[in-house]
Amino acid sequence: MSFLPIKERSFAVRIMNDKIYKLLQQGKRIDERSPYDFRKITIQTNVVEKANGSALVSMGGTRILTGIKVELGTPYSDRPNEGIFSVNAELLPLASKSFEPGPPDERGIELARVVDRCIREGKSIDLERLCLVPGKMVYILYVDIYVLDYDGNYFDPSVMSAMAALATCTIPKYSATGERIEGEYMKVPIRDIPLSVTIGIIKDKLLVDPCSVEENSLDTSIVIGMDSTSNIVAMHKNSPGHIPLSLMESIINVAEEQIGKIRAQFMEAVRIGQEGR
Amino acid sequence: MPVYFNEKEVVLPGQLLSDDSKRAGEGTYVMDGKVYASTVGAATIRDGKVDVITFRGPYRPVEGDMVIGIVSDLKPIGIEVDLGGRITALLKIKNIRELASLNLKIGDVVYVRVASSGLRGVFLELDEHFRKIDEGVLLMVTPTKVPRLIGKRGSMINMLKKITGCNIMVGTNGLVVINGPSPTKEFAAISGIRLIEREAHSQGLTDKVLAYVSSLVSGEVGHGAGGKA
Amino acid sequence: MEQAAKPKLIDESGRRLDGRGPTDLRPLKVEVGVLEKSDGSAYIELGKTKVFAAVYGPKEAHPKHLAVPDRAILNCRYHMTSFSTDERKTLGMTRREIELSKVIREALESVVFLEEFPRSAIDVFIEVVQADGGTRTAGLTAASLALADAGIPMRELIAAVAVGKVDGTIILDPSDIEDKHGEADMPVGIAPRSNTMVLLQLNGKMTKDELKKGLELAQIGIQNIYQAQCEVLKKKYGVSMTEV
Repeated sequence: MSFLPIKERSFAVRIMNDKIYKLLQQGKRIDERSPYDFRKITIQTNVVEKANGSALVSMGGTRILTGIKVELGTPYSDRPNEGIFSVNAELLPLASKSFEPGPPDERGIELARVVDRCIREGKSIDLERLCLVPGKMVYILYVDIYVLDYDGNYFDPSVMSAMAALATCTIPKYSATGERIEGEYMKVPIRDIPLSVTIGIIKDKLLVDPCSVEENSLDTSIVIGMDSTSNIVAMHKNSPGHIPLSLMESIINVAEEQIGKIRAQFMEAVRIGQEGR
Repeated sequence: MPVYFNEKEVVLPGQLLSDDSKRAGEGTYVMDGKVYASTVGAATIRDGKVDVITFRGPYRPVEGDMVIGIVSDLKPIGIEVDLGGRITALLKIKNIRELASLNLKIGDVVYVRVASSGLRGVFLELDEHFRKIDEGVLLMVTPTKVPRLIGKRGSMINMLKKITGCNIMVGTNGLVVINGPSPTKEFAAISGIRLIEREAHSQGLTDKVLAYVSSLVSGEVGHGAGGKA
Repeated sequence: MEQAAKPKLIDESGRRLDGRGPTDLRPLKVEVGVLEKSDGSAYIELGKTKVFAAVYGPKEAHPKHLAVPDRAILNCRYHMTSFSTDERKTLGMTRREIELSKVIREALESVVFLEEFPRSAIDVFIEVVQADGGTRTAGLTAASLALADAGIPMRELIAAVAVGKVDGTIILDPSDIEDKHGEADMPVGIAPRSNTMVLLQLNGKMTKDELKKGLELAQIGIQNIYQAQCEVLKKKYGVSMTEV
């Protein structure tokens, strides 16, 4: 069963709906950004020593911590030659008063699946290289995402922190008999780095990376994942409402342009993280 | 009777302030005849009492407060008003006709007086100051900073209104509505309010705010200090 | 992965695996006001143990029937991330986390003036990002700071630390490996002004003398942690005061 979304309030403040739209008409945002700007992004990698890979990403007031644990296990029977890539996400109650304690609710599950889709569907990870003994023994990558502080749009920083953690992850090597090969590590076989952008829609206007005040006033929003050559690797409309077909072309153009802008910063952060390992 | 702090010293919960239990004021508690701080705050002596003025903390409604709230439910007994996500107060309505005449919908913002607050809840009342707010930017400031935002006899808020040309309504509960002639001026007012909130206790704040907001209004410096609405 | 053989935890010169002496605390880092959306928050690092705490409230108790007419209820959740431990922790709350949530809540209840907020709820969330021993005590220390940061009235702060017994020696602030291979682990939470214990547990075996020594050692550690708590709060709020 899916319940009404629990936002900060279960209703939007009417005057703010008007204000946010009026500002957009003038090319402005409530937090003084331009419509297509991301908030300030910071990326830190290797923040949790006990994880095989980890990253803390903040996008404005939203902060996401991702950690990766690697284990050995049996592959899925329908994919005997592939390692297992498992994404989980939890909206921690310390991140917002609208997040309740308990097992991941539909929003946590949605977040995990969207991140998974961005990474998996872009074939970004060569899972075959994570196989030790076909049908018997493979590496399992548990990518666990935690929302630590929530001020809107947890999708984009989550994809980013998952990718940053993967790109800086070190996998302890095992032999075909399941023995740890002491001192030997390998990198996650990454083919491409997908990133995502969340675009909010109010009437005929678009905005990138909505903060929580804006989220409450959006007509709808969509998450778009793109790889390094601007292929669309995932799409996910993540709230009720309509997207006019006539807007789709500009949505994709905005997505391509903005992901391009944040990609350089992401690559730099990952490079520093890899050197640190 | 001695006190164990310097005027305006930052004190912490459990810190001994005085040996005289009769001097216990706000933000303090008495144990074994001694007065201790119960919150983080600035210790001071007001009217012979030892008070701790808190820097941050929940809004506690007091009769007569003018607050800004958001209509969260319409019920037969009255209108529920959210006073900032922590407290829901009830605006009692005499009859259906009165309810209809107010023409309120869920999500509307209102400026209203606190009639009473106690164990039974918080109640609001309609008086001549009641109004529905039709436009503006709604923001939340720490309720304990509201007196500083208003300033002595309204000096701070009047200065902000004058430089930015914005109409600014401040609820004692910390909700603020800003409505101005242009986004630049509204952003300047928001940035000014955020500065006051951040540096509520620093010296020469009025001059600092004046200089900062003036420069924003005239477009001399970039914004970005505005933070979130 | 198989259990490693027990390493020697204290060498001939009395040094521990990480180079500490028996009565040394690990490097301590304390911060307040670290999470934007909460009403109060804190972060603690004790060696590799890293813990966030956040407070929401007082707010209306939900569901309403949980509200108590003459005081606030305090809810507490102690939770660990899946990658905080050597072996991946399963998602969701384990029995251990449920128990620790309860003892931490009861420790906090003993200092918060709940009667000032009838029919309300105060939520305390503790998130262990990395666990290297002493997470419940670090969590309690952080939670008490987060409550103070939220401006919630309380009798006093709480500082907490664990003491352990390894290779027959009583040590302060055991790390994960010392805890795993040691003979005893005793988490202690103290309200320093009244010098009362608000949390006390013991896993393992200690003689009466060792217990006494352990509690003395805990008090020394707690004094250090308490100093750090006071400093960080005064630093955050200690600004020149004018016309308040």
